[in-house]
Formats: sequence, structure tokens, C-alpha cells
Amino acid sequence: MKFRHLIAVLASVVALALLAIVVFLAVYSWPAIRMNGAGFLRRNTWNLGNLYSDPILRHGREVMPGASYGILFLIAGTLLSTLIAVILAIPVGVGAAIFLAEAVPAGMRSWISFFVEMLAAIPSVVFGLWGYVVVIPFLGHHLYPWMAHHLKFIPFFAGHSGSGYGLLTAGLVLCLMIVPLITATLRDALVTQLATQRDASLALGASRFETLWSVLLPGARRVLIGSSILATGRALGETMAVLMISGNALNYLPRNIYSPISTMASFIVSQLDSALQDPTGIAVRSLAEVALVLCVISVVVNGAARLLIYYHGRWSARMA
Amino acid sequence: MNPTSLPPALHFTPPAAANRVEPGRPVIGVRGLDFFYGPAQVLFGIELQVREREILALIGPSGCGKSTFLRCLNRMNDTIPGAHARGLVEIDGHNIYAPHTNVIGLRRKVGMIFQRSNPFPFSIAENVAYGLKINGLAKNRSERMARIESSLRAAGLWDEVKDRLNKPALSLSGGQQQRLCIARALAIEPEILLMDEPASALDPITTTRIEELALELKTRYTIVIVTHNLQQAARISDRTSFFLMGRVVETDSTQRMFTNPSRKETEDYITGRFG
Ligand SMILES: Nc1ncnc2c1ncn2[C@@H]1O[C@H](COP(=O)(O)OP(=O)(O)OP(=O)(O)O)[C@@H](O)[C@H]1O
Ligand SMILES: [Mg+2]
Repeated sequence: MKFRHLIAVLASVVALALLAIVVFLAVYSWPAIRMNGAGFLRRNTWNLGNLYSDPILRHGREVMPGASYGILFLIAGTLLSTLIAVILAIPVGVGAAIFLAEAVPAGMRSWISFFVEMLAAIPSVVFGLWGYVVVIPFLGHHLYPWMAHHLKFIPFFAGHSGSGYGLLTAGLVLCLMIVPLITATLRDALVTQLATQRDASLALGASRFETLWSVLLPGARRVLIGSSILATGRALGETMAVLMISGNALNYLPRNIYSPISTMASFIVSQLDSALQDPTGIAVRSLAEVALVLCVISVVVNGAARLLIYYHGRWSARMA
Repeated sequence: MNPTSLPPALHFTPPAAANRVEPGRPVIGVRGLDFFYGPAQVLFGIELQVREREILALIGPSGCGKSTFLRCLNRMNDTIPGAHARGLVEIDGHNIYAPHTNVIGLRRKVGMIFQRSNPFPFSIAENVAYGLKINGLAKNRSERMARIESSLRAAGLWDEVKDRLNKPALSLSGGQQQRLCIARALAIEPEILLMDEPASALDPITTTRIEELALELKTRYTIVIVTHNLQQAARISDRTSFFLMGRVVETDSTQRMFTNPSRKETEDYITGRFG
């Protein structure tokens, strides 16, 4: 077998594995999908029903009386926390990459870079614990009350500032987790690939700042978008850290940026135990449906970002 | 030295008469230039003059400091941490290493072409326009288009790219990319062009094209070119300077250098007897 064929086989195994997971989720959660209908995505109810009474029949299936499943609040929590994380992480990550590539002498650069990359290697549960012990008390007692008072003119910044568990905290900790992904890739692109272009620009009489702004950053745009996609994927699927700091809201939408939330990934973990108590099995299948929705959202976000790159590339090639 | 002892390819053929210029006034004067990368000294007491509208070739074995010297002339070495120069480099009578020198203005006056073509990941037109934008030149559109066209014509690229000015520069061939880099350097109307082995990554036909271009450009610009290709030096340069281990061994008219070098080391090098 030629090497090329081996690669093709390996690549298709990976693709098939992804497909197999999605198909499994779809088949397994099918009874829940039938029962929950489109309301699953629109309602704010996650209710296992009365587990102490006998199952009743609904649409030809046994369910517990009062059971109802709707995860709008999870979708909102997931997308909003990821959005906050990515919006904060891009400028911070780009800034750190520029700092490492431009301002730090080469000898020190590898050391600082090492620490930045170590940040990416820390298990997320450690981030969660740190958030729980250190970040939340500070945010809940000091920063959030201050923000709610002084920044209340900004939409969603006013109102009850909570105890520190919630949307913004989740966004901040997720941000910290994904910044190294962006910084490490972008710094490499700035330092290596573009060294020759940097020379060309300086030799034309450009300052370092002009070179960075007009040549190096546009040249690294693709790398930036690519690493942001990866970062988004990680934030969407992050489980443990979010579970520990998000406040685990149930059945309501966040009212402001301090409100408790839940995300799909952390909700699956936190609810699995109680869902297993449901003798009809619909609760677990509904959790699988949550997982399916998470998969679909990740794939859609990824695909949309890739299309963006593709059209952006064609567009800028034409406009340039 | 008897010319017949040269390898056949090195027989000197004088450049076409039209391209011979009487020695002009000196535009670059280098006196006692030492250069250091950190503690390591790589240039020792360089003495050299470059005259207006001549092509000066720098030859010498690898690592002897040709590129370093070239990059001293537009202070590109400033970007290397720990590197510093000592001595006098005068361009148009001004010491470019004097404090408060306008380095940006210097680099505008002294353009540079690199060994590996390095176009920006923009369109062809934007590449040429970059220097204009940075230096605030040719601000209105028609002026800018005129400058783009004249630079591309001067670099001998206009006819090949005029229908696809908005295509990415990286879609050009290697030789076209290098000529684009030349056009980009010409757009801001420098007086001096520094070329560091501009054709060494190119095939022979493209190399010939670049050499012809250098001869054309000589009518308007002063050119200092580093080359490893002795035939190339012989074909295009008026004078040649031989570098060895960070020192200038001799500088002379190219014809004399290749037929009758005054120093033993030079003779050894150009006859290929050099290690
Ligand atoms: N950035 C740098 N830092 C430290 N030393 C350097 C640096 N660049 C070059 N050198 C050293 O300076 C000396 C001269 O190098 P330079 O590149 O000027 O040689 P060159 O004549 O251009 O060689 P080549 O023909 O191979 O291009 C070499 O010994 C080289 O190792
Ligand atoms: Mg060199």
C-alpha cells in the first residue's frame, strides 16, 4: 500500500468517526427529538417530571407526568459566554503576540512564550478551581458591584451584580483559556514567515509600527482567523471550568452580564446523574439531544468561519 | 596575469558602449568602517567609494561580509539587536551614522532588493503603491496609477502584468516577483539601489533579464550589487570590489580586476583557485 493510500485511509477514519458520533447521537436521542419537537430549542424548561408517580403515555411513549424539555437558556448561555470569551481573547491574544514578536528580545521571547504556552497546557479543572477560589470572590465582592454602579449606562451592565458566578465570569475564564491558542500561533506567524516582508517594508522607509500594521498583521490575518476558530471551538465545548463558575442557572435566561448561566457541555455533566433516575429513559435521551445540538452548533460555527475565510480571501484578492 | 589562463566563461566582454559612463562624482564614501554583531567583528576598516550612476559589484567568498556591508549602507542592520557600526559612511556628503540621522529618509533614498524576492501578500498594484503610501507620496489616484505604471515599466514588468494589477503578487513567477520587488523599490524614486544577490534564486534566462534590467537602471540610479556569479559581475559592473574575511582586498575597474588583478588573493579567487 502506498503512503498516499495510507493517509487517505487514516483521513477517512477520522471523518467517519465524526460522522459515527453524530449518527449515534441522532439515533439515540431520536425518541426525545420526537417528543420534544421544535420547542426543545425555544423553551426554558428542563423538568424531569414527577419521578415518584407512574409514567403516563404521550405520543405513544411513556414519560413521567409533567416532564418537559427546552434548552433555550443553555443555548443562550453557551453562545453568550463563548462570544464574550472570543471578543475579549482576540485583542488580548493579538496584543500579546505583537508584544512577544516585536517588543521582547529574542532571548527572552522563548521564555515568555514558554509560559504562555504552559497556560494552554493547564487542565481546565485547574482553571475552574482557581476561578472558584480566587476570581469569583474578587469579582463578586469588588469588581462587579463597581461595574454595576459605574458602568450602568452600558446595556446589560446595570442591575443586580450577583455573587460572582455567572456569564461574565465564565467569559473571562474561558478567555484566559483560549488566549494562549491565539497568541502562540500568531506569534509564530509574525516572527518567522514574515521576517522577509518586515525587511522589505523597513527598507522602503516604513517605521516598525507601519510595518506591523500594514504588512505583518494583514499577512497574518488568515492565521488569526484560523486560531480564533479553534479557540471558539474550545470555548463552546469547555465543561469543567464553566461548571464550577457559571452559577448553573436552570430554566431562565441571563438578565445582565452578571447573571448565572449554564452551558450545554457543563449541563450534560451536571444533569447526568439525575437524568439516570428517570425510568422512561427520556431524560438521558434528551441530554443526548443537548449533545447533538452542541455538535451541530460547533460544526455550523466552524463551517461559517471557514466560509468567511474563503469568501474573505476571494474578496480581498479582488479588491486588493 | 595572462587572460588566457582564465576559464573561458570569464573572458571579459566589455558592456555595450552605451552603458559605459564616465566616472561620476562619488555618492557613497565609506571610510574606516568597522562592524560588529555583538562582540563579533565582521567588517574591518572598509574603505570604498561608489560613484554616481555606476554599477559596483561586490564579490567574495561566502561569509566575508558582503551582505553586512550592503546593509550598512541603508542602516538595515539597525534592526539586529546588538549590532553596531563604527566609522564613516557618507551618502551625498552626509554621515548616515551621525546622531539624529533621519533613517527613514535614508532608506527612501537608498532602495534595497533582497536575495529572496519578498513581495507583500497584497495585489501587484498594492505592492508597488506601498512605499508611496508609507511615505505620503503620489496621494491622488491618477498620480498613484501613473507612478505604479512607470515603476513597473522601469522594472520591465508592465507588459506582463498590466491586465492583472489586482491579482495577488504571490501568483507571479519567481522572476516576476523579483522584478516586482524592484518596481516597488523604484516607486519611491531612490537614488541608490542596493541589490543583494538579486538573481541567485532564479533560472539563467530570468537572471539575464535581471542583468539587462540592472544595465538599464544604471542610466538613472547608482547600483551596488552583491553577486556570487563572477560572470555576472563581469557582464554588468563598471567596478568591482573584492571582499575577503571582512576586509576589502581591492577595488578596481571590473575589466582590470578580471584581467589583471593587482593582488594575489583576488587572482586566486577569480580563477577559482580559492578554497
Ligand atoms: N544577524 C547576524 N548575527 C550574527 N552574525 C551574523 C549575522 N549575520 C551575519 N553574521 C555573520 O557575519 C559574517 C558576515 O556575514 P554576511 O552575511 O555579511 O556574509 P556574506 O558575504 O553576505 O555571505 P554570503 O555570500 O553567504 O551571503 C558571517 O560570519 C556571518 O556568520
Ligand atoms: Mg550575503
